[in-house]
Amino acid sequence: MEFMPEFRVLRPASVEDAVAARRDDPDACLLAGGTDLVPNIRRGIVAPRTIVDVSEVAEMRDIRERDGEVRIGASVTLAELIEHPIIRQRFSVLVQAASEVAASSHRQVATVGGNLCLDTRCVYYNQSEWWRRSNDYCFKHQGEICHVAPKTVACFAAYSGDLAPAFIVLDGAVEVAGPDGNRVMPLPEMYRDDGRDHLRLGPGEMVVAVRVPAADSWHCGYVKARVRSAIDFPLAGVAAAVKLQAGSLAGLRVALTGTNAMPLLLQGTEDLVGAPLDDDAIDRLVALIPKQIQPMTSTVTPPGYRRRVVANMTRTLLRRLSAEARR
Amino acid sequence: MAKAILTLTLNGRPREDAVSHNVLLIDYLREIAHLTGTKMGCDGGECGACTVLVDDRPRLSCITLAHSVAGKRVETIEGGARDGRLSQLQRAFHERLGSQCGYCTPGMIMAAEGLLRRTPKPSTEEIRQGLSGNICRCTGYTKIIEAVRVAAGDAT
Amino acid sequence: MNDAPPAHAPPRLVGERVPPRLVGERVPLIDGVEKVSGAAKYTADFTHADALVGRIWRSPYSHADILDVDVSEARALPGVVAVLTGDDCDVPFGILPIAQNEYPLARQRVRYRGDPVAAVAAVDEATAERALSLIRMRVTPLPAYCDPKSARAPGAVPLHENRPGNLERDVHHQFGDVDAGFAAADIIVERSYACAEVTHVQMEPDASLAAYDAERDRITLHTVSQVPYYVHLKVAQCLGMDTSQIRVVKPFIGGGFGHRTETLNFEIIACLLARAARGRVRLKLSREETMITHRGRPRTDVTVKVGVTRDGKITACTCETVQAGGAYGGYGIVTVLYAGSLLNAIYDIPAVRYDGYRIYTNTPPCGAMRGHGSVNVRYAFESLLDEIAREIQTDPIELRRRNLLRAPLRTINDLMVESYGLPACLDYVEQASGWRERRGRLPKGKGLGIACSHYVSGAAKPVHWTGEPHAVVNLKLDFDGGITLLTGAADIGQGSSTILAQIVGDVLGLDLSRLTVVANDSRITPKDNGSYSSRVTFMVGNAALEAAKNLKTLLVAAAARKLEAQPGDIECLGEVYRVRGSQDPGLPFGAVVKEALAESGTITVKGTFMVPRKYQGGSYRGAAVGPSMAYSYAAAVAEVTIDEDSGRVTVDKVWAAHDCGYALNPLSVEGQVQGAVWMGLGQALSEEIRYHDGLPVAANMIDYRVPTIVESPDIEVKIVESVDPNGPFGAKEASEGALASVIPAVANAVYDAIGIRLRETPMTPDRVLAAIERHERAQRRNRPGRAA
Repeated sequence: MEFMPEFRVLRPASVEDAVAARRDDPDACLLAGGTDLVPNIRRGIVAPRTIVDVSEVAEMRDIRERDGEVRIGASVTLAELIEHPIIRQRFSVLVQAASEVAASSHRQVATVGGNLCLDTRCVYYNQSEWWRRSNDYCFKHQGEICHVAPKTVACFAAYSGDLAPAFIVLDGAVEVAGPDGNRVMPLPEMYRDDGRDHLRLGPGEMVVAVRVPAADSWHCGYVKARVRSAIDFPLAGVAAAVKLQAGSLAGLRVALTGTNAMPLLLQGTEDLVGAPLDDDAIDRLVALIPKQIQPMTSTVTPPGYRRRVVANMTRTLLRRLSAEARR
Repeated sequence: MAKAILTLTLNGRPREDAVSHNVLLIDYLREIAHLTGTKMGCDGGECGACTVLVDDRPRLSCITLAHSVAGKRVETIEGGARDGRLSQLQRAFHERLGSQCGYCTPGMIMAAEGLLRRTPKPSTEEIRQGLSGNICRCTGYTKIIEAVRVAAGDAT
Repeated sequence: MNDAPPAHAPPRLVGERVPPRLVGERVPLIDGVEKVSGAAKYTADFTHADALVGRIWRSPYSHADILDVDVSEARALPGVVAVLTGDDCDVPFGILPIAQNEYPLARQRVRYRGDPVAAVAAVDEATAERALSLIRMRVTPLPAYCDPKSARAPGAVPLHENRPGNLERDVHHQFGDVDAGFAAADIIVERSYACAEVTHVQMEPDASLAAYDAERDRITLHTVSQVPYYVHLKVAQCLGMDTSQIRVVKPFIGGGFGHRTETLNFEIIACLLARAARGRVRLKLSREETMITHRGRPRTDVTVKVGVTRDGKITACTCETVQAGGAYGGYGIVTVLYAGSLLNAIYDIPAVRYDGYRIYTNTPPCGAMRGHGSVNVRYAFESLLDEIAREIQTDPIELRRRNLLRAPLRTINDLMVESYGLPACLDYVEQASGWRERRGRLPKGKGLGIACSHYVSGAAKPVHWTGEPHAVVNLKLDFDGGITLLTGAADIGQGSSTILAQIVGDVLGLDLSRLTVVANDSRITPKDNGSYSSRVTFMVGNAALEAAKNLKTLLVAAAARKLEAQPGDIECLGEVYRVRGSQDPGLPFGAVVKEALAESGTITVKGTFMVPRKYQGGSYRGAAVGPSMAYSYAAAVAEVTIDEDSGRVTVDKVWAAHDCGYALNPLSVEGQVQGAVWMGLGQALSEEIRYHDGLPVAANMIDYRVPTIVESPDIEVKIVESVDPNGPFGAKEASEGALASVIPAVANAVYDAIGIRLRETPMTPDRVLAAIERHERAQRRNRPGRAA
């Protein structure tokens, strides 16, 4: 037997029950596919007393379309997302991003909500209890230091989900349920750039679904820097959405992952709207990136590389989307 | 710690066991159901050696709580043989040397079984994608791909 | 398909005139059915209700003197049956008799983060976990050295008192006249290369199951070893027990690749715990612990200098290597010696000087890993040849052809080369890859690269010199007409049991259904030195061949008696023995067996194999490492694509040719070569151990990037058969030699693709992108006329 801490698992049938279940234990963890939570439990970096399994909550399990807007339940698995006809036809960037997550077996159970709420990652954090204790722990868990940047008081664990940037460039919003009721917020607002606490969710709040408006006139794509072609988390990832009208940019959104403690909607892209999306515009856009990202030595791959590769990938992706949009 | 009754179908046979909430599916299979064909190769979700099928889909049993499969159909490598004879995938892995040390093999075959149920005639690229979470350290994968193609009736 | 007989099974017709051949056939593994059906039992699969849970408490310090280890609270915890510390065993161990400096549990000093300090046996996981959390160690910290430079710095505290300067071993060998060689050269090129530390990542994490019989004071150990015999010796030594009271069983093993070629601390700890607990202890290590137990390929810095004449003939070579060996001796001395000795026996180099330095560092011990000692030096040498080829404007394959050996020969460092298929290997990869037509004509970002490599087929000198034969195989034939092959050779997935059965079956003309292989139970099987240095096919294969011939002699004599003929006139057709040339139906095998057993009863025959003295190397210090009766040869061409955005190198295809002498089992040879080439690709592209203050940051299978099936290329294998005069049926090794060539083949292909020379492994995207950017900056600097 593998050593596991003791906990109880609750299996609510509805969102309401799930929220209620967590009200009793504010530290209760949500479980869906378990691909993020259970390895972390095995490593001793989370030790919940209560686990609320939302993988079978009906309201969180389906993909619905109304008036062009699509609502994807948080417990929809990545495999279901990838295989869904509406998503395949109209939101191929989600298929691209979801297909890049881990490996096919993980995607059978990993969920949309789980990927959006993925814990931040760091080589000093995603280690065994023995390892972290030997290294005096860190800010993110039980410790008083950040080994990535020992002189700071911040935590630089990196957000490493692939789906968030794709949803962000699609202008997605999350439905959140909590003890004080439900709310909808644009996806970027759910995150903050703090590796310790990167989700702006109140106590007991949970993501129930993601809503994505129609994006038929947009050209979108996602690319990911990685060493292997499967299993790897993104060293960095870029999603972009481009809308051209009469050869000029009518809309442009770029979002990044793996570079900060949160997925990042690149700021300043609106200045490019109205001009053609040529190499000059792309260079100006790429020039926006360095000041907004902060990759640190939270992975075995050095941050300088992640900086450079983000710029290169963004340039190539935008050239590709620009060509696609003009066809 | 308090146990709860876990009801499931394991390799076609219904079972009921009293299992603690914190028991992993792999430990349930190996240490409670005594089916040790499913292997632990890593510290959680990194290698695929523990892959089993849950309702026909591959699942990493080392990061799945046993109670998460309550009421479902679970299949392990031991369930592959019929009438004592190897399944087509098992036979192809054996005859084409898709298995050397054999440690990744149960997980690899279960992932391949899941793939063939979704995609009965997979392309080589689809085989690569379907087995993308299963690390093998012996074969270099060339003969694994061949074995899956043979089992799918796509190669001789 | 289910009803078809196995593809390999020959028809069994009485009176058939040609005995079936097993050797040279594509025979699936004889234990393959168990592996694909889940029936195969690996060490961790032996679940016993009474087994206690063993766990190890590991040092959080890299280097420290131990003041005390307080286990009193852990001992007092209900459910804890035994707690041990270094005080419980004062006998050091180590694979080399001359370098035994490791204790199962650290005494006085810890030397790396992860060094076992205490061990617990408890009734369950939760209790064991709790007990570990109650153990305290007080220390005086010492300066820690995680790299050779700091470990060698003046004033550095030695990890081991008898090794000042932390120099485990330095080797200074010179063969031939190096100065004269360089003087005769037209061009001399010298370059330095760096190879990251890599590890085996065999799929099965380490595990031992030790049962102590308190009534009889005996231990039975099931463990994951490639060398059960050495484990047996060390367990007896460390427990102070007579070897006859120890039984070591090797169940199915989930790979080894060198990780398990020495006795490892956890195996002894499991036995110590079982004895202390007076019962059965199951000790399973996590993946992280397995990667800390390590014994992989050390970080190596290599500087090679080669002189060539204008027409491409190598005149001299010097090589310096520095290896970061980790905290204990292990195989370290052997590794640093192999690196030098195997500069020879592949090309004709008249003069070679080698300076090797093995350094103790405060990191987990390195050891043997597939291609032991040869790989990093081969990468450097073959990369340098590519640079030289460009310098003298010669095709790299052609340059290698100008420096081939002419077998048979004795090299300048006393290695005997009697079969040499490298020329055919080169011919094949050149043709199959379309080298002449395609090289230099591929689209931008694509390239082809070539390199060669070689390896020993069994170390001619065993680790422990006892005077015994190198290998022994027993065959038992009984009333049932079944033959049991008893061997101590450890099948760890490489298929050695299958090869031995094929040899025996082939000699006797019988198919595999008559044969059962029993491997590795010290109570039953003859001693074997183990699965290392690619010795099993060659040495144990030869012993099996002799045993089978001995058995056949007895059977032929029995048939002659029964048929009232001379043994020389008896023809063995496997299932039938008859007088040669007669039209009689002959005697069926069962009748021959009955006659053979008539007076003797159950027959047990033996075959042995001994490496003759002339193959055992020279008499200089260090001469014992490198000699072998035969060397395998390999050539590889890799085709790569480089994505200049990400710096990612994709290997699209590898053509690998391997001279294994003779393919006893072509299916198995292909599988071994593919596995070796692919493991080399991992080292070339993505695998790397790194430390943060001595803590391994990639001791898991996410950050230590073993290639997945998605990016792994098709590997096309050509078997070259040079038919070695001494190998069984002419066979040599097949599982190590091809590994080293593919790493420089990839590096050379990268140069071919983008004109950039990578002198560091792994060639990860960050290193490649940084090299591309350096190259672009340098090009801009070299074109002053152009605007920046």
